[in-house]
Amino acid sequence: MIRAYNVSKVYENGVVALKNVSFKIDKGDFVFVVGPSGAGKTTLIKLIFKEEEPTEGYLVVAGRNLSRLKRRDVPFYRRKIGVVFQDFRLLPQKTVFENVAFAMEVVEASKKEIHRKVPLVLELVGLLDRQKAFPSELSGGEKQRVALARAIVNNPEIIIADEPTGNLDPDTAWDIIDLLKEINLRGTTVVVATHASQIVNTMKQRVIALRKGLVVKDQERGGYRIEN
Amino acid sequence: MKIRTFAYFVKEAVKSMFRNGLMTLASIGAVAAALLVLGCFIIITLNINYIVSDIESQVEITAYLNDSLENDQINDIGREIIQIKGVKEVVFVSKAQALEEFKERLKEHKNILIGLEEDNPLPDSYRIKALTPEDVGFVAEKVSSIKGVAEVKYAKEVVDKLFTITRWIRIIALGFMAIFALVAVFIISNTIKITVFARRKEINIMKYIGATDWFIRWPFFIEGMLMGLIGASIAIGILMGGYYYLLKVLYTHIRIIKLLPIKYFYDYAGYMALAGAIIGSLGSTISIRKFLKV
Repeated sequence: MIRAYNVSKVYENGVVALKNVSFKIDKGDFVFVVGPSGAGKTTLIKLIFKEEEPTEGYLVVAGRNLSRLKRRDVPFYRRKIGVVFQDFRLLPQKTVFENVAFAMEVVEASKKEIHRKVPLVLELVGLLDRQKAFPSELSGGEKQRVALARAIVNNPEIIIADEPTGNLDPDTAWDIIDLLKEINLRGTTVVVATHASQIVNTMKQRVIALRKGLVVKDQERGGYRIEN
Repeated sequence: MKIRTFAYFVKEAVKSMFRNGLMTLASIGAVAAALLVLGCFIIITLNINYIVSDIESQVEITAYLNDSLENDQINDIGREIIQIKGVKEVVFVSKAQALEEFKERLKEHKNILIGLEEDNPLPDSYRIKALTPEDVGFVAEKVSSIKGVAEVKYAKEVVDKLFTITRWIRIIALGFMAIFALVAVFIISNTIKITVFARRKEINIMKYIGATDWFIRWPFFIEGMLMGLIGASIAIGILMGGYYYLLKVLYTHIRIIKLLPIKYFYDYAGYMALAGAIIGSLGSTISIRKFLKV
């Protein structure tokens, strides 16, 4: 589903974010990408989203070579990927329902389709009874669940979560991870970039560890700690 | 594009116009000012052209004859005139005819001419039409050298003067309009910039969700275009109202000046609306290119 071939990224200011990174994530995988700040996790996500271009190497995501993807096809490619951020990024002036519906409006889904689909995903994340609430009335965990509902509403092939539990207390964090796992069990590939060592250690999933732009570990059923 | 999507774009555009109310007002005002200048210029030039062409259509040379000529002499002069190269037509207008025409022109005020029939001060004259306007000068010169011709008059000088005036009006008005239009484009692009900035989070989310570039751009584009159109409507309203009032005043008080009827300008109102839309779109396009990295 995601393959990186000798990918390097050097920013214009000379910062080397990724060095010769190669890995392979298969369809239906659940992968943690771990590493300290500045290890290159965010850069990797930006490359997958084609927000940045690799300096060397290339990525193939959902069957597309991103280096050959035309600019006008990028939005349609992005629709295959759902994304969740640490800071939720909900629109404050829209209700829970509208925030999720917004993702469908952007891809020009029909009103009928929106009204069928949004309640379904809100039920999946357990927020059906909160659909008229505004983000300011929600707890952090609830906000992240709305973000998750928004990420999955267009049936993406991949979910990418960038520090999804970074702003949440441990119990709520586990709710979100459980939800991600549930989404994964339904067949969606899930990639979670995180610092949360306890979660990683407990989940016993595939772990790709980055440090200073290098893949220092790629292990099935791995833990957070990086052995040298 | 689906109608619902378009409705969404318009809704977003209108919402953000209200959100930055003052900047929106400034933008609309700037467009209105630019188009007011353009409109005044159109009205003035077209009216001058109208008057000029009215005069030009009768670029006619009038040769006033000396009083106390015999009929034979008058006929001789006529024959002489018709032989001049470039003359198309010669008509004799007698003193009495001239007085009748004068009365005709004065309409209900013709009473002031009563009593002149016995001692008609108007001279006999020949009205000469040239083949082309370029012949007028030459013909007039030739005619004035004929013996028995007292004075030659033709409208060329007036025509030339009017043309000079219109040319200057055109240059000045176009200059002002260009400045105002530039200011309008600048203000609109600033307003859109503020909108883009206010909505940068939303734009970022839209990008990640997979909105196409144009899906993101359309609301801003429409916002600019709407501001341009509203500005244009205001300018058109003011001009039409003002011109209507002017015509009314002229018609009731000074009947001699004839201006173009208002319906003549309907097409131009359409062009002005188009110009407003273009100014608005241009302003938003600049901002979209510069500040909306999608």
